Amino acid sequence: MLSYGFMQRALAGGLIIAAACSIVSFFVMVRRLAFVGMGISHAAFGGVSIGIAAGINPILAAALFCSLVSLGIGYVSRKGRLHEDTAIGIFFVAAMAMGIVLVRVANAYNIDLMSYLFGSILAMTWWDVLTLGIIALFSVAFLILFFKELLFFAFDEETAQASGMPVRFLNYTLLVTMAVLIVVSIKLLGIILVSGLLVIPAATGMQVFRNYRGVIAMSIATSLVSVALGLYISWKFDLASGAAIVLVMFGIFAISFIFSPRRGYLRGRTS
Amino acid sequence: MKKTCKVADYFEGKKKDTSLIELEHVFVKRNGTLVLEDITFSLEAGMFLGIIGPNGAGKTTLLRVLLGLLEPTSGKVKVMGMTPKELKSELHHIGYMPQQVLFDASFPVSVLDVVLMGRACCIGLLNFATKEDRQAALESIRLVGLAGYENRPIGELSGGEQKRAFLARALCRETRILLLDEPTSGLDIPAQESFMELLAKLKEEFSLSVVFVSHDVNILARYADELVCVNRTMHLHGKPSEVLSSGRLKEAYRCEFDFLVGHPIPHERKDGA
Repeated sequence: MLSYGFMQRALAGGLIIAAACSIVSFFVMVRRLAFVGMGISHAAFGGVSIGIAAGINPILAAALFCSLVSLGIGYVSRKGRLHEDTAIGIFFVAAMAMGIVLVRVANAYNIDLMSYLFGSILAMTWWDVLTLGIIALFSVAFLILFFKELLFFAFDEETAQASGMPVRFLNYTLLVTMAVLIVVSIKLLGIILVSGLLVIPAATGMQVFRNYRGVIAMSIATSLVSVALGLYISWKFDLASGAAIVLVMFGIFAISFIFSPRRGYLRGRTS
Repeated sequence: MKKTCKVADYFEGKKKDTSLIELEHVFVKRNGTLVLEDITFSLEAGMFLGIIGPNGAGKTTLLRVLLGLLEPTSGKVKVMGMTPKELKSELHHIGYMPQQVLFDASFPVSVLDVVLMGRACCIGLLNFATKEDRQAALESIRLVGLAGYENRPIGELSGGEQKRAFLARALCRETRILLLDEPTSGLDIPAQESFMELLAKLKEEFSLSVVFVSHDVNILARYADELVCVNRTMHLHGKPSEVLSSGRLKEAYRCEFDFLVGHPIPHERKDGA
């Protein structure tokens, strides 16, 4: 399969994005941001449509748009009198509705919207792989350099703030990192399934390990195996890449859940 | 113990005329409501101050003002001779324990990881924990009697053990002042006693100053050098014996019921039960 150029690009891009998303996934889980990820990924539809309507790169437009949406969600839920899930519910439907209107106005039904919605390995170019690499590098650098502060902030925000941690910066930067990673993963997984890469890996790690080091290592391994195996299945059976990757990831999660030493089916049977 | 000049200035007596904590006519408004009104008191270094008052009296707000997390609407605040703005770079000298740490029981961190968080402000942004930081964290864990628990997940500890771990986190820096917000809430009486004994011992051993917020007058009366009774405004400040014998203590606690219900209701049961 690697003799095909498009598969080389998809695998290279996929593994890069899997590694970066799996680390963010840890913070998505401990900060309970899974629904934020869903909201941002769906809002990407609005961003892609803006790009199509304005004649600029849809992924670039979506990256900017989703960063703004993520900051909006963060701001409204901190400053407003709304819970985070309500803020997400508002932004996500408004952005999707705007996307639908813009696609109609721009008369852009001929653009392959399905590839944005469900992912397409054929859509990946070497330019995309390079972009993914640069963005993944910045994201991972942020997560590693600020790891101790992010962990403190995720565990106990009040004491982190009382210790002089830049909690506002950490919160907003984490949201923007999530947004950008979501957008650049769209070609691989599609708008609908992309948030899986931010939720399932760390959730899988949590089934097996009780310390963040193990959770993150397992999260990275789950992502990399899922992308590689998912892409192979997608190529072999001519399936949408996003669906194949997410199903493999879910399979690993289910196995981890069942054989989890801390909870799950086997423990229930033996206790 | 490394000292930065501003804090060293204070503790080496270069600011002899200033108390450890000074509040002058502090007013705090939140969402248009006055939550603290005309608070004035000072505290000398090495003292154990108990801040008492009923629920919703503004005790936590007062701690947040001392930490510089909340700016007073008016009035003067100085901690170790520094304004809240100046204090921002010296927060590693203050150990803080919030009223409640709301974390998921499965949060994947060990006791050692949690205590190391206390050193984050000493380590500094973009730096990583060194062997010395780990040693300091292990020493704090030992001091609070949790030796052997270093690698246990924090969620598996009992309530009392978790409080000790959070105390170790507050100590695991260049701590001069401990600000503790209801640290014994949710603990049974033996666990409360043991926590207070530990705190008193650590205070003496490391010449710490302690500001302890609680609505439990009894526990503070036995350990505090001074008590401040707050219920939006400051009702009393003095030695525990003076505060407890004052009729105004009852008055301060009664205010809460009036404030909450909006009109006076009977407070004392006549049947002696």
